[in-house]
Amino acid sequence: MLWFLHLVVLFLLLTVCAGLVRVWRGPTLADRLLTTQLFGTTGMAILIVLSGALGEPTLLNVAITFNVLAVLLVVCLVRVWTAGKAPKGGAS
Amino acid sequence: MSVADVIAIVLISAGCFFFLAGTVGLLRLPDLFSRLHALTKADNLGLGLVAAGMAIYMANPWAALKLFFIWIFTLLASSTACYLISRFAREQAGVTANSGKEDER
Amino acid sequence: MSVWIDILLATLSVALAVRCLTAPTLAQCVFLFFAFGLTLALAWARLGAVDVAIAEAAIGAGFLGVLLIDALRDFAPAKEATVEDAEGYAAGGSAAEGSAAGVPLRAGRAALPLLPLAIAAVVFVLLTAEAVLNVRDGGGLTELAQENLARSGVDHPVTAVLLNYRSYDTWLEVGVVLIALLAIFAVGNGGTFARRDHVTHDPVLEPVSRILAPVLFLIGGFLLFLGKYEPGGAFQAAVLWGAMGILLYLAGWPVMTCLPRVWWQVLLTAGFGVFMLLGLAFMSGGGAWFEYPLAHAGNLILLIETLAALSIAAALTAIFAFFHEMHAPDATETPEK
Repeated sequence: MLWFLHLVVLFLLLTVCAGLVRVWRGPTLADRLLTTQLFGTTGMAILIVLSGALGEPTLLNVAITFNVLAVLLVVCLVRVWTAGKAPKGGAS
Repeated sequence: MSVADVIAIVLISAGCFFFLAGTVGLLRLPDLFSRLHALTKADNLGLGLVAAGMAIYMANPWAALKLFFIWIFTLLASSTACYLISRFAREQAGVTANSGKEDER
Repeated sequence: MSVWIDILLATLSVALAVRCLTAPTLAQCVFLFFAFGLTLALAWARLGAVDVAIAEAAIGAGFLGVLLIDALRDFAPAKEATVEDAEGYAAGGSAAEGSAAGVPLRAGRAALPLLPLAIAAVVFVLLTAEAVLNVRDGGGLTELAQENLARSGVDHPVTAVLLNYRSYDTWLEVGVVLIALLAIFAVGNGGTFARRDHVTHDPVLEPVSRILAPVLFLIGGFLLFLGKYEPGGAFQAAVLWGAMGILLYLAGWPVMTCLPRVWWQVLLTAGFGVFMLLGLAFMSGGGAWFEYPLAHAGNLILLIETLAALSIAAALTAIFAFFHEMHAPDATETPEK
């Protein structure tokens, strides 16, 4: 069973590697941003499987932390880059 | 190898398939919106399956509950991220490609 | 099988680090850096250093990534970004690498700096040799830390080291965050936070922030309390609470102006101040600097950690918001006075 979990981790790591191609090629900022979602979700899956493979349940906390920050990155980029253009509703 | 292990292997393999689908979609699909569509949907399903498989493998109710909440949280968070990215791309593109069509904000 | 994971992780980390430094555009750097953070967190997890893995995921990849993204905007006028990115988008993925996000880092691919590289290589070889030859396996201070765990007030050795054996270090670390904040405020011309009401009306982000913020608060608190038994603790909790603050701020809530100024000052200095006062109190009671009374060590550590986490979270939020407002296009708004 353990070899299977290691295989899964290896496989998911390779999908992360493949996703890096999209970071590199772009072409737009949004495309690159999309890869943070890939890293967030896949990273989480890797950590979940690793936590079972290593028998270290606390790794689940790393998983949730990483995903929280991956999402914050998206929120930040989108809000930062559209801040200048969005209609300023209630700004005084 | 017990029955639980077999179920876990099947679930995790299915999860890996969806991760593969998401990544292939991210790399091969022609434009941003279809990539977004492929990645965020497939990956979240993949995560759910992997989490379910690991919950069975770990056989620990506390860990299983945590995995379940992690998955629910991820669903909420990444669908928001998906929406934000597509809106962002639309606003960025709207300036030249779509300038006549102003969406209501 | 697991050795292949290690080989892949090690290769990926180094390759990403190199790529991150040599990437032609800033946007590539930022997102490669985020991926680098992921591989580092995984490497620490693989090594069994869960504390470091959480810190790396939270601070190294997450918070730093958020700050870098915010900084990215300053290197390119938004207009240029819009047009070029739009062209890139419309072309369905052709060139358009010169967008804002794609500001060229340097004119040409400069020749690699040979001397620094040579020095780095020598240092690397020496350090590796030192590590291989001289570091004893399982020796060091591990046993000492484990032996005294019962007297530290907590059950997790890393927390015991951070908050009890070496609390002096941790106290100064909390101070460093405070000093960084003060320096940023000083350099930023003493700018104030514009009072704005609930600015944006994003139909999804706003309700989601209502759900996510309490969840983030809960996860942060969970990590804080967990620090007594398992990997977790003040700094990790602080990043999650800081993430909550930044999320609320970005969703348009008046985070920085919802509390009176003096409350913010109390919040920002509470961690450092109470930590110091407690240390002095123990010293005046005849003990050493930061020598907690044995019976209350656990509770005192929890108190200090909670206040430190609150202060650091407030500082992270304030740093982000300050940078954000300093460069905001609508920075000409009448400042709060």
